[in-house]
Amino acid sequence: MVLIRYRATPMIALAAVGVLALTSCGAGSRTGNANATTVSCGYTAPEGKTTVNVLAYNSSAIDPFTDTMVSSCSTDDVTLKHDPIDFGGQVTKTTATLAGDTGTYDIIETYGFVIPGLAEDEKLVPLDDLYDELAEEYDLDALSESMRAGMSYDGKLYALPMQAQMFVTAYRTDVFDDLGLKPPTTFDEMITAAEAIKQAGVMEYPIALPWLATADVSTSYQAAMNSLGADFVSADGEVTLDTPEAKQALEAMLSLKPYMDPQVTTFDQPKVQQQMFNGTAAMSIMFSGRMNDLTLPANSKLSDSFGFAGAPKLTADAPYSYNRLSIDGWSIPFNTKLDKKMLFTMMASAVSEKASKASVPAAYPARADMVTDENSPYGAAANDSIDSAMPPVVSPYLADMTNEIRPILVEVLNGNLSVDDGLAQMQSAGEKIAG
Amino acid sequence: MKTREFWVLFFPSLLVMGALLVLPLVRTVQWSFEQVRYGVPGEFVGLANFVEALTDVRFGRAVLFTVSVTVVTTIILLVGGYIIATAVNRLTITRPLVLGIMLVSYVLPNLVGAVAFSWLFDDSFGGLANRIIEAFTGNQVLWFTDQVPNGILVIANTVWSMIPFAMLIILAGLQGVPSELKEAARIDGASSFQTHLHVIIPTIRGVLGFVTLITIMDVLRMFDNLIPLSPQAQSIGNESIMLYVYSVAFADGAQRLGLGSAINVLTILLILIMLIPFIRGIFKEAKAER
Repeated sequence: MVLIRYRATPMIALAAVGVLALTSCGAGSRTGNANATTVSCGYTAPEGKTTVNVLAYNSSAIDPFTDTMVSSCSTDDVTLKHDPIDFGGQVTKTTATLAGDTGTYDIIETYGFVIPGLAEDEKLVPLDDLYDELAEEYDLDALSESMRAGMSYDGKLYALPMQAQMFVTAYRTDVFDDLGLKPPTTFDEMITAAEAIKQAGVMEYPIALPWLATADVSTSYQAAMNSLGADFVSADGEVTLDTPEAKQALEAMLSLKPYMDPQVTTFDQPKVQQQMFNGTAAMSIMFSGRMNDLTLPANSKLSDSFGFAGAPKLTADAPYSYNRLSIDGWSIPFNTKLDKKMLFTMMASAVSEKASKASVPAAYPARADMVTDENSPYGAAANDSIDSAMPPVVSPYLADMTNEIRPILVEVLNGNLSVDDGLAQMQSAGEKIAG
Repeated sequence: MKTREFWVLFFPSLLVMGALLVLPLVRTVQWSFEQVRYGVPGEFVGLANFVEALTDVRFGRAVLFTVSVTVVTTIILLVGGYIIATAVNRLTITRPLVLGIMLVSYVLPNLVGAVAFSWLFDDSFGGLANRIIEAFTGNQVLWFTDQVPNGILVIANTVWSMIPFAMLIILAGLQGVPSELKEAARIDGASSFQTHLHVIIPTIRGVLGFVTLITIMDVLRMFDNLIPLSPQAQSIGNESIMLYVYSVAFADGAQRLGLGSAINVLTILLILIMLIPFIRGIFKEAKAER
């Protein structure tokens, strides 16, 4: 008895360590995503053991494609390796891997915003020849033409589009129905609805937007300018941050502030989701990839009470909605030593029809007409939104310019800088980048 | 110990220190005079990086914030650590339990602890502290967007995570104070406060110096806890030096490794300046021992 008691403690400790070790291994696995699947991936494997390093940030919209690629294209001799990483980490690692003649990654996730800059610097492999060769086998022509255009620069394709994200409005159907409100189609309607919700004492800050002082806030400002048919630069590369549209967009953003949490410039998209989950906000506008999370009962007891609508316009006569169309895709870095055709095949498999179908509703795949009202709770809203988004302005300076103007933009939104002074400073910062 | 024996035992440490400490330091100093991008040889730019850093208002604000947090945190840790260590020193049976509970905040990874700590002040995640404050004052504190409350939040988190370390070291020092000394002070009519001030604290000043030294070095390098605690650090002026380095040298695909290295060299100088009293003390003690 004494012996059993003497041995029991170390055995329990050993078992606990073993369980912890096993669960830790499981935590690093990137397979098993509910919206991933197995597809055919018919490439000619090189001789000997090969590792294909894949760089792609983790999100509910990207994971289905990454997991499908990793699980479908790995064989006994070819291993696709993907380590979990967040978006900020991907940005840093992309810069590092593309810097020299040798890089760490063989397939990288890219998005329309950075394609012009990377293409201009010849950091990505043009895919046109491989596309022509394999388009029929993988039915690549069914990938949306406009999304392929969004991943092209100077007439060359630099990424196979996998999925797109656009702004979608999420709102509380119960609150809106009770107060006889309709989903807002303009910023004025958002304010009217927010005012009504506040007056009814339902909540103090009915609007939640991702305005964290990172890429979130500059994307939001760009979306506001896009609604007016403008961007940070014009199509011919002129910086346009001192235009009437730039001012109107900034003032429109400021007009929403009284209806948002005073700390909104610390809100990223997960925190906006949290506001919706908690019931502390009744309206939010986020990228579509965040919408499916709202419908999952595991995330919130309000999951049945969320409705979705296309993104609103700044004003009723604005040409486009408050919206950013962000297209994600797969690219081949210029410095990979592996066979480009093999890598392209892996990418094509991950955006195949079967893989794209499986990714719904977590993602909005790049293949046309794949998301509908029936297979996605926010499908109709996403389709409305994508139709009302301004076509992207292509400029190699946009990414750097966005980083440069961000601190000034935050100062204006925090009320530390006047709109006019802020615009003048942003124009100057933008011109410094664009030369 | 024979010379040969000394070198056999010392050489592996020398090798590791050379590879992990000296080489990176030499490279940092070299890069601070160059414009460096990933994968491309550096280009000599003289003092340009230092001039850029020293003329950047943001760097000045980062230094001010970092030094302020360091000074306040060190004082709180010394005073608080001493008081808690004195209390724990009096415990007998419950001491292991109290020590075990207190160590939780110290063994948690910095980032994990800071995220959990931030939730206490974040209404999106319950905001327990906010609810208590609102119940008593009826006011909402903007912990993440107002400079002073955010500074208090950062200091509170740093104290929370480091006080077990300070307490443990001071506790070890207290246990080394001869009971005869305290007994003599009591016989001479010293009050409890006087005994602490004139007998115990001077006896353990070496231990307190060690705690101060480690605290200053740790807090001056604070970085990861600011990610959840101060998401708007740059805008409100609560950016630490290391966060500033990350922001200008690496974040958003930046490749300003030369500038980052120059700021690191300046930070090393700052740490050395702040540690001068302690370094002098160590030299004095070493001299006295000879």
